Amino acid sequence: MDSSTPAIQIENLCYAYGRAEAVHDLSMTVQPGRCYGFFGRNGAGKTTTMKCLLNLLRPQRGQVRVFGLDPAKHEVEVKRWLSYVPDQVAFYPWMSVRETLDYLASFRANWNRKIEQELFERFGLDPSQRTGNLSKGQRTQVALIAAVCPETDLLVLDEPTSGLDPIVRREFIEAVIGAYQQGIPGQRTILVSTHLITEFEGLIDEFTLIDRGRAVLTLDADQARERFQKIRARFAEVPPEIDLKAALRVRRDGRELELIANGSGAELMERLRQHNPEALTTESLTLEEIFVATLKA
Amino acid sequence: MLFLISFKSGTPIYLQIVEQVKAAAASGALHPGEALPSIRPLAEELRVNRNTVAKAYSELESLGVIETLPGRGCFLKENHSGLRKDARRKLLIEEVDRAIVQAHHLQVPRDELLELIHERLDVLDDKRRAHEGKKED
Repeated sequence: MDSSTPAIQIENLCYAYGRAEAVHDLSMTVQPGRCYGFFGRNGAGKTTTMKCLLNLLRPQRGQVRVFGLDPAKHEVEVKRWLSYVPDQVAFYPWMSVRETLDYLASFRANWNRKIEQELFERFGLDPSQRTGNLSKGQRTQVALIAAVCPETDLLVLDEPTSGLDPIVRREFIEAVIGAYQQGIPGQRTILVSTHLITEFEGLIDEFTLIDRGRAVLTLDADQARERFQKIRARFAEVPPEIDLKAALRVRRDGRELELIANGSGAELMERLRQHNPEALTTESLTLEEIFVATLKA
Repeated sequence: MLFLISFKSGTPIYLQIVEQVKAAAASGALHPGEALPSIRPLAEELRVNRNTVAKAYSELESLGVIETLPGRGCFLKENHSGLRKDARRKLLIEEVDRAIVQAHHLQVPRDELLELIHERLDVLDDKRRAHEGKKED
């Protein structure tokens, strides 16, 4: 594997459950070292796509590659390079946390005990506790320990923080940054699917927005925040009709206007300025606001 | 030093870190030789990608604002511009032009803009004096 091979390459992926199409003609490339967000509503096709990467499902059309390999043909190699935190974490309930991690470690060539210890302390987990008695948050924490300790090149997180309380969600993300990202820069790739975008905002380098099985937007996060702007204008009097067709969305109330712009911010600002507004401000949309603006447009 | 990151500013996150260190250095809030937070705890605290913080620090290093001492961390440099005079001027011209364009759009006339620059320089001097005063206490 050379360094220019994408960590993940998905080309024209299609998958249907019977007649219900879950993923349609989806293409997406994740370069090594990136933290890639995979955003969509519930049922948008995120989990189906991820299952194809893990060979839990076989693509019906198109192809997926993980570090250049087909997960269906090279399942063992692919699984050696990646670790996965599923949306529903299940362990053998009679095993203790310690036994569970030892069991999972037995499948791995490498297991970093130092990081394991550090994460135990960070999460305040009791190794002797039976996994059947853990809370949902604690089960996710154990799953994250199991995913980080093998020090794989690719970490796949499927809705990892859904249903967790805000403190656990924050700790989860801090652990991903602190423990997983401490490897060689450019060699630790993360793919995270979520609809809780705000928490992951600072971590995301690039993202794909998926809706009803189709990729609707793929952008670098910084570029996205530059392109999507919210513009607010207030005039001394109710303004005449201004041509605002370039805006993604327009809200009006008397003398006030609020626009969402996708790449046409400068042009729209200029148009508004011609009518001498009393106040004219602009701010970037957050990734979550971009998600909402794009799917509701 | 404490940072404040905004996803709504339109400025890339790494640049926000770069600008805040530069501002702290210029106002004297950060002293020459003083340590910056290490990459890992800072990334965790801000909940941003480690690579973003690393990129900001390497940018600051190439600008000559900070230096990295292997195994010890990053520190504000004594003379925090390693760039040649013409390169420094060139960087500043871009910023000044941006302010001039903005002033034009906000209909701030020439005299008022110049006055404002004097005023802001005085504010910065006051801040720096205040920081120095505290250091001597």
